[in-house]
Amino acid sequence: MARLNEEVKTILKSKQTDILDLWKKHLFTKSKQLIELIGLDNLNQRTTNFLTQFIDALSIGDDISQENYKRTREFLSDLSQEMTQKNLTPSETAMFVFSVKDAIFPLLMAEFDGKKFVKSILLINSVIDQLGLVTIEEYLNSREIIIREQQNALTETSVPVVKVWNKIIMVPLVGMLDSSRTELMLETLLESIEDTQAKVAILDISGIPIVDTLVAGHLIKTATAARLMGTDCIITGIGSKISQTMVQLGIDLSAVVSRTTLEDGLKLAFEITNQKIKLGE
Amino acid sequence: MTNIQRDKIDIPVTSFEEVILARQLVRELMERLGFSLLAQTRIVTAVSELARNMVVHAKDGRLTATKVTQGARVGVNCIFQDSGPGIEDIDQAMREGYSTTKSLGLGLGGAKKLCGEFNITSSMGKGTKIDITEWVK
Repeated sequence: MARLNEEVKTILKSKQTDILDLWKKHLFTKSKQLIELIGLDNLNQRTTNFLTQFIDALSIGDDISQENYKRTREFLSDLSQEMTQKNLTPSETAMFVFSVKDAIFPLLMAEFDGKKFVKSILLINSVIDQLGLVTIEEYLNSREIIIREQQNALTETSVPVVKVWNKIIMVPLVGMLDSSRTELMLETLLESIEDTQAKVAILDISGIPIVDTLVAGHLIKTATAARLMGTDCIITGIGSKISQTMVQLGIDLSAVVSRTTLEDGLKLAFEITNQKIKLGE
Repeated sequence: MTNIQRDKIDIPVTSFEEVILARQLVRELMERLGFSLLAQTRIVTAVSELARNMVVHAKDGRLTATKVTQGARVGVNCIFQDSGPGIEDIDQAMREGYSTTKSLGLGLGGAKKLCGEFNITSSMGKGTKIDITEWVK
């Protein structure tokens, strides 16, 4: 494995302050946003730390999965995570690493002449490229986590059970009813029935674009389970297109009471529970 | 998601998310071709059934949907192709209430009733191909 030339290493160490200054100069022109987000004091500390760790690790070669690069990698992962949360573009974060080249190469070239140190330059180049990729990968990971969190947040809010009136609850269903969501719906609904002692549960499917056999099967299962607890299910929000489609598809929902509008469903629910609303004069 | 208007849809259907995507794309295409809302609902329901069948029974389903014309007539054609285990007895599979999983057993037969033209070919161990066409009335 290629190792860093000892002579180059000595130079890098002795010129560390110069490299640092040049690097920061580049950062100030190229990565203004990043500097604003990190803050000046913080930037000085971080760039110094990074450069020390980086030059130390360089001596073992360009395999950044090695233990020596661990701190450098962790440093960049943390930085990338932080910048992702602050909505900085991944290119700007990667530029933080890439601009180290602009600081090291001019110094090395001024110091040495000829092909002697081409190997060292290639080595440093390769390491910095890989480290740049580390920040991009971390960016993707952070985004994945955000997406997953949002997905979870969506499923959690997807099955709200609303108590409408004494003994009457309602579940507005929206979007795609896949197996995991139906399970969640079934569980939440049955728990609410237990808690509220509801006698009627209204399932409003106005927000479901398509009722295919899967959705129908889930609805029938839910109604049957509620029935076992002594609660009637009313399905509302079946429009003309969906009703025609369901008939053609051969879905038999006759075991479940259904109405076109939520209003009709509510009226029926009041009848079933023997309640009347008195309107004021 | 891209907003590119496509007259040809060619997507893999291997997960339930892709079933939703398939439904959305076919609905979009039909809307552009001038299908009525009822026809859209019917065909998209059929697409939902057939696409999900591919996810449940095969692992590498693919949906291609295209605009077709015949003289002045305009229509949509969807092909569901997979290389799953195949269907041993198509007549039995089409029958109401028949299911190898615990579903209602209405999907395949129902999908046929929902579409104008419906063709199914299947060979054991090689896969199944379902070809549906619907014309704008």
